[in-house]
Amino acid sequence: MRSPGRGLGALALALIASPLAAQREWSAQLDLAGGPLYFELKTEPTGAVRICNFGECAAATWRQDGDSLRISIPDYLAVIVAARRNDSLLGYYHNVGRLGPRTIPFRARGRPDGILRAPQRRDIYGSWDATFTTDGRTSPRVFTFGDGGAGMAGAVISNTGDYGTFTGRMEGDSVRFSHFDGSFVYMLTAKLDGDTLRGTFHAGLRTQTPFTAVRTTGKRHLTPPEEMTRADTAPFRFSFPDLDGRMVTNDDPRFRGKVVIVDLFGTWCPTCHDAASALKQLYATYHPRGLEIVGIAYEIGGDTAVDARMVRTFRDKLGLPWPLLLAGLPDAATQNATQPQLANFVAYPTTLFIGRDGRIKRVHAGFYGPATGEAHTALIADFGRQVEGMLGE
Amino acid sequence: MRTPLLLTALLAPSFVSAQGLPADVARERADRVQWLIGDPLSPARALALTALAPNGVTLGPEGSDVLVPGQPKAVARESGGRVTLTGWDAERALPLGRPTAIRGVRLVPLGTGARAYLLVYSDAKPGKRPKFYPYAATGSQTVTLTPFTPKPQRILAPDGTGVEATEVGTVSATYAGSRVTLRVMRIPIGPEESQLLINFRDSTNGVGTYPAGRFVELIPVGGDRYTLDLNRAFNPYCAYSSVFPCPVPWSGNVFTSRVEAGEMYPAEAVTK
Repeated sequence: MRSPGRGLGALALALIASPLAAQREWSAQLDLAGGPLYFELKTEPTGAVRICNFGECAAATWRQDGDSLRISIPDYLAVIVAARRNDSLLGYYHNVGRLGPRTIPFRARGRPDGILRAPQRRDIYGSWDATFTTDGRTSPRVFTFGDGGAGMAGAVISNTGDYGTFTGRMEGDSVRFSHFDGSFVYMLTAKLDGDTLRGTFHAGLRTQTPFTAVRTTGKRHLTPPEEMTRADTAPFRFSFPDLDGRMVTNDDPRFRGKVVIVDLFGTWCPTCHDAASALKQLYATYHPRGLEIVGIAYEIGGDTAVDARMVRTFRDKLGLPWPLLLAGLPDAATQNATQPQLANFVAYPTTLFIGRDGRIKRVHAGFYGPATGEAHTALIADFGRQVEGMLGE
Repeated sequence: MRTPLLLTALLAPSFVSAQGLPADVARERADRVQWLIGDPLSPARALALTALAPNGVTLGPEGSDVLVPGQPKAVARESGGRVTLTGWDAERALPLGRPTAIRGVRLVPLGTGARAYLLVYSDAKPGKRPKFYPYAATGSQTVTLTPFTPKPQRILAPDGTGVEATEVGTVSATYAGSRVTLRVMRIPIGPEESQLLINFRDSTNGVGTYPAGRFVELIPVGGDRYTLDLNRAFNPYCAYSSVFPCPVPWSGNVFTSRVEAGEMYPAEAVTK
């Protein structure tokens, strides 16, 4: 590989000479192996960027970096780097995971084509019970399709919660429904075949999982979140460094004799952002009556200082007043080593409700975010009742 | 993170055609080059992987378990799942599984108890620029996955860590007259995401490519069809630093021909 030549640098510079601030809205796409994933990009003259699935947006910033235009997505240590060509941006989305770098081609058109907002069929609106098949083994999901105001919006829900708002459209018998928030790259493509939806769920650049789905009948399809993860009956113990390296444990006076919610989360997990916002409401209501919350982070970042910064940014963005601690990587070995009192800790977030006696009263795996509509509202009410009950014990 | 190289590969048709590379292969290679050379956690920068049990790991001057030039002695110890470092500053906790940057090194505790290790990266150690064979058009072929009853098994991923993989089937591939049935494993990489990986060996191993074989990922093209592009073959982490455990080559999966495509392992790349 050679370094970029001067001529190329000048060419690229010329391509992006006009300021990005002149454009405010872009129709953007990631080119996955299974086809384009559409989303909306909004740029501000101030340097702010929003990556949006209709109303649900992830925050980012843009700046010019040498020959290229660079959009940083701080929540997920990811970047979009692109050059400007006339009225378009052409480049790639990039992050570094445990097994090395991941790059997905990116494009954006400066004249929004409203591809997600065009009129479309609505007859798939509602809830569908989906069955994914991987290597002959099946697993359940629920899809919800509905009116997002500007077009079709909804959610894909697994046993461990949802992945945020999906947007898409149905044309003829074909459905395309996707979510990109700077971290998760998800898309489903399907055809309506009689009463059955048959298609493929695409994750990241290359993973493709076939599924079939039928309209929800009301029969149990997903495993209830209370049945996913089991806890032992001993008092719950934890001991992890906070963002300044000080050890915080369950023996600290602030937790003794209190009702405590333990939020096992990662800043890389969009659903965890939704859950933390909901917990903040609970904290505002119940902290005066003795509720404490502690967040225990499982981070994928490259460095302790970076991880502490990520968690600090998460805390400041959401305005979280409770301690946030660093536990380790979100892999099975670390999870088992650091949470020996839990069996089958598989979901982010996982919420533990600890009674005044220090014992785990309930484990809730995953979280239904705002994209799930009624399920979200019901869950928050349910968490409130749980805390009320424990405060009264 | 530096990007001009990658953007150049993406945007400059002359660059791409001079190498005879399709744009997506060029992009993937540029990304890998950048990561191996520039990332603080490039596997090439790994300095040591040492057992923390039973007495901890010393870091610092000559005579230490891990030589960190110009630094006084420090000790990392594991107890009850918690790793602490003493001697350089006030005692500090080293979170499990995550790097802590301190005095020119990055310390990553892995595992607990008798299986606790400390992985050390050095900022002073240079990255390594990988080399590739020229693009070989015959290296890219469409294959059909023949599934069989999935067999879960624990294997080492390319980064040398143990993962719960699933052997899912086989594909048939040909290169320079050698036809091989290749075993395929699915390796989980995140929520809803996995890779279909093949570890293979060929007659260039040890004489141009990594002696213990290389990996290549299947790229879906629809249904049970995939692109197997040997131009995208890559080395495991142990090729860049001998501190990483090397995945045992999978049984079978041997081309009797020379697969002169994908990542190389030139003589000067022997790890130190």
